[in-house]
Amino acid sequence: MARMKFLCDVERCIDCNACVTSCNNEHDVPWGINRRHVVTMDDGVSGEKSISVACMHCTDAPCAAVCPVDCFYFTPDGIVLHDKDLCIGCGYCFYACPFGAPQFPEENSFAARGKMDKCTFCAGGPLPDNSVEEYKLYGRNRIAEGKLPLCAEMCATKALLGGDGDVVSDIYIQRVVKRGGRPDTWGWNTAYNFKSEKEKKP
Amino acid sequence: MKRILFMLTAFAFLAGLVGCSSESRNVTMHKPGVYKGTKDPLLALKNQQELIDRAKLVQTDR
Repeated sequence: MARMKFLCDVERCIDCNACVTSCNNEHDVPWGINRRHVVTMDDGVSGEKSISVACMHCTDAPCAAVCPVDCFYFTPDGIVLHDKDLCIGCGYCFYACPFGAPQFPEENSFAARGKMDKCTFCAGGPLPDNSVEEYKLYGRNRIAEGKLPLCAEMCATKALLGGDGDVVSDIYIQRVVKRGGRPDTWGWNTAYNFKSEKEKKP
Repeated sequence: MKRILFMLTAFAFLAGLVGCSSESRNVTMHKPGVYKGTKDPLLALKNQQELIDRAKLVQTDR
C-alpha cells in the first residue's frame, strides 16, 4: 500500500517560491493565506538553506489527535484530510502541528477563526470528487485525476518531491549516493556536531 | 375554559407518552477518535499504481 509523502531536498531548493504560487493558483487560495511556505535559514549568508514546508501528512498526525470534533480522516494512501462541515475553528490543530500547516482564512470579530484550511496533497475533501462544492471548499482534486500535487510536479529543480514514500525515498537516496556524502538533511550537522575535514585540520 | 382545559390535558398526555418512549435520551453524538463526517469518494481509490508510475515518471532526474 502506497503512503503519500512530501520530501524537500534542501540542497536543491533555490527559494523561488514557485511551489507556493502554483498551490495558491491551483486551489484559488484566498489572498494572504499560504497552504505551503518556504523557510530560509541564514538568509543572505553564504550557505543559506531553504526548505518548502506544508502539511507533511503525518502517519500519526498530531492535528487529528487534538481535534475535539474529530474532523480529520486518512485516505488509504495516508493523506490527512479534514471535513470543513465538522471543523469548529478552535485552532487546536494549529498549536499541535509542528509544521505550521493549518491556516485560518476567515478572520471574524472577537478573534473568532473560521474553518481551518490546509494542504490536501491535492486530494480535495470528502465531497464528490472535482465537484464545484469540493473545489470551493478544498481546492482541486488532482489525485482523483491520477495526478500528483502540483507543487512537487512543477518544482523546477525537483527539490520538492511528492508521491509514494518508497519512490520518494528511492529518488532521494540515489541523489545522496551520487553526491557522495552523507545526507545533508536540515540540521544534521548541528545535531551531530559534524565538523568538516577543513575544520578538523586547519 | 373547558376547551383550554381539554387542550392542556391532551398536551400533558402526549408529553407523557413522549417521555415514556424507548428512545435514548443521550444527545451526545461525538465519539472520541471516530470521524463522523461525509465519506470521501477517494477512500475507494483504485488508481494507486497510476500515481506510483507517475511519481517515477515525473519526479526522477532527467
